[in-house]
Amino acid sequence: MTRTRRLHVLTGVALALLTTIAVLVNQRDVGIARDEVVYMEYSAHYAAWWRGLVTFDHGISATNITATWGGPAATDNNREHPPLMKEMFGMSQWLLHDVLGVCSELTAARAPAAATHGLAVGLVFAFALELFGFGEAILASLLLLLLPRALFHAGLACFDAPIMTWWLATVLAYYRALDGRRWPWLVGVMFGCALATKHTAVLLPFALGVHYLWLGGRARAADPARRWALLVTHRWRVIVSLAVLGPLVLFLLWPWLWIAPITHVAQWMSFHLTHVHYNYEYLGHNWNAPRFPWHVALVTTLVTVPVVTLAAALVGLGRWLGLRGTLPRAPLLLLVLSFGASIGPFLLGTTPIFGAEKHWMPALPTLCLAAACGIGWATRALAAAVVAWRPAWSETVTRQTLLVALGGMVTLAAATETITAQPYALTSYNALAGGAPGGADLGMNRQFWGVAVRGVLPLLAAEPPPVGPQPRFIYTHDASPAWGLYQKLGLVPRWLADAGHEDAGVAHSDVALVVHELHFNRHDYMIWQGYRSVKPTYVLRSDGVPIVSVYERPASPPP
Amino acid sequence: MSPGRTALAAAPAVVLFVLGAWETCATREAATSVPGDAAWDAAAATVRARYAAGDLLVFAPDWVDPVGRLHLGDLIPLEMAGRMDAARYGRIWELSIRGAHAPEVAGLTPVTSGDYAGVRVRLFERPTPTVTADVLEHVTDARADGPLRPGLVLAEVGFAPHRCVQIVPHGGTPVRITFPQLALGTELVGYVGLADVFTRRDVRTPVELDVEIGGKLVASAKPGVDDGWVRFAAPTTPGPTDVVFIARAAESNRLVCFAAEARK
Repeated sequence: MTRTRRLHVLTGVALALLTTIAVLVNQRDVGIARDEVVYMEYSAHYAAWWRGLVTFDHGISATNITATWGGPAATDNNREHPPLMKEMFGMSQWLLHDVLGVCSELTAARAPAAATHGLAVGLVFAFALELFGFGEAILASLLLLLLPRALFHAGLACFDAPIMTWWLATVLAYYRALDGRRWPWLVGVMFGCALATKHTAVLLPFALGVHYLWLGGRARAADPARRWALLVTHRWRVIVSLAVLGPLVLFLLWPWLWIAPITHVAQWMSFHLTHVHYNYEYLGHNWNAPRFPWHVALVTTLVTVPVVTLAAALVGLGRWLGLRGTLPRAPLLLLVLSFGASIGPFLLGTTPIFGAEKHWMPALPTLCLAAACGIGWATRALAAAVVAWRPAWSETVTRQTLLVALGGMVTLAAATETITAQPYALTSYNALAGGAPGGADLGMNRQFWGVAVRGVLPLLAAEPPPVGPQPRFIYTHDASPAWGLYQKLGLVPRWLADAGHEDAGVAHSDVALVVHELHFNRHDYMIWQGYRSVKPTYVLRSDGVPIVSVYERPASPPP
Repeated sequence: MSPGRTALAAAPAVVLFVLGAWETCATREAATSVPGDAAWDAAAATVRARYAAGDLLVFAPDWVDPVGRLHLGDLIPLEMAGRMDAARYGRIWELSIRGAHAPEVAGLTPVTSGDYAGVRVRLFERPTPTVTADVLEHVTDARADGPLRPGLVLAEVGFAPHRCVQIVPHGGTPVRITFPQLALGTELVGYVGLADVFTRRDVRTPVELDVEIGGKLVASAKPGVDDGWVRFAAPTTPGPTDVVFIARAAESNRLVCFAAEARK
């Protein structure tokens, strides 16, 4: 390995590690997402099953597979989501928490998502290094690290950040496989990992397919015989790898497919194609049924990605247009198609929009790569202008100095957005929107999954314990699934028990929480009625925007 | 390179640099732009000093409502929070931030105004109609045909709180709710909407509410799932009269909520 190569590898690894550490540090203040509770529960079962299999505690049978991985109902054993990340969450919980005891089970469960996010940054570094250069590679990596929402999602034991990684890994492996190598196995394996992470991986072939056909068209044009077959056969091994190894890896990782694989894949896809539409606020309107505005994905991206990253990406896109057709294997077209395949379905008006940016996260690496390219190009242009003005100055030194200055300013802006957004990044919007208050003014979604409740737990834990053996009861609505885990982690005392659901829960409660989302206003009104008071005792705010209200039942409610 | 081309080539880098500097400052400015509890305490103290029983308190923008209630919620009874509309309130305190305005004071001129570190306090006064009857106070007297009974609830309608008469008609079968001998004034004003975000999501058809006085249809409204709290009104002849509300839904499980006041 040359010295330069070693520097590149070490830098990429350092950026990946830095990202993983940043995610792990950040997630400590992030509350437990409703879905995480489910994933963590089943991840432990999945990991135990695999451990039992390799230690010969049990064999493989339809009965024991069904008991752990499936069942007759659509959500039995969380069979509606593929297993890869859950297997990793479970193994991590077992190793880091149960065996080594180095962290809480929550952090242990989240560690694989943090690590895969680090991997995504490493992959972006590698891709940018190959396409644009060392400076751009560092910038692209930092810009991916410094995306407020992505950093937040990467700290959850969920699939949204990991699918970005496996998607990008597939794109990069595919791009490299097009060099004509004899055994392009990696692209198929990465595609299999993507499929085994989240159903949105099925969109990847749209990007890869169009790109492959486009290259096939070029291959045919260069062929003296103009054979049509070249459209498909010009790199046929890549197709075989994707078509065979991808599904095979999915199959191997998901025991639920070992019995009735076609039926179970069909059920998996059907679940997501007919998914209920959750409530989601967008531009002041609560959306819970199609048709949705076609611009949700575009506007949401516009107000959640740092402005300077978006602007640099626009410059980069201009540069890419100038470079079109000049790079072998058309990587820029590939990146644009990857972006389009990820975000495109959300322009249709029928794809569920709840969760917003987390569902099109695979589009983000393209933005960061374009932004880094844009910054590099803008810097070179400026350096050339400066040297034209001061011919005595070294163009190389000038360019490097300007790259550090401009890259530093862009990074500073993105870092400011990212740090400001945490730990309530779902409430945060960029400077273009006016931050979290601007987002609230615009009627953009406040949050989801009930994660903000984490911020009021210290307040609740500081309450005096009840006199006598009876616990106090708290109405937590959408934080209810996480309550047991919060208690297990010692974040709330055992004597503060979950009161139950809806009006009965309110009636039973001494304390009540409302997580502020437009469609959760109803919980406020239930509590007002139950407590005969509209006055909360505490309002948790993120940059001044209310995210959780706490009510205490008045000792003697007003008449 | 010509000076023009040089400037053009330098422009993207300069723009990105300036944008980065702006974003860095703007992000921190936005994060600290919302007034905190000290400002609200000062504003609340001003309101309490001149507050009179029955004054309406409103907050703007909508999203700051929890903070307003944190500081002044003890002055907001449930009936006020779940009001039909603001017409019966002669004195309205508006506490607002970021230059927002509450719809309740649209078109009114404040009699006093003050700013407390970003929380603007304005008091509005105006003449009010006399409410001669409120159907919410007569729910127990109301007669419904068939087995259904209307109830008085505090419901979410259009994501806002409204005390209302709630009825859930069977799909395709109208329900007539009669308020006997209601003391009418010169106008009957009411609102109707569909309660509960989840039933609004799952059943998308609108509902209808007709109002009959003396056997004649005087008002009608047809709120859909996204229409919120829909106003209706009719001129009336003062005096006690039976008023009938007829709720219709094509499908079951529609939570029809309405309120109405007789005014003069």
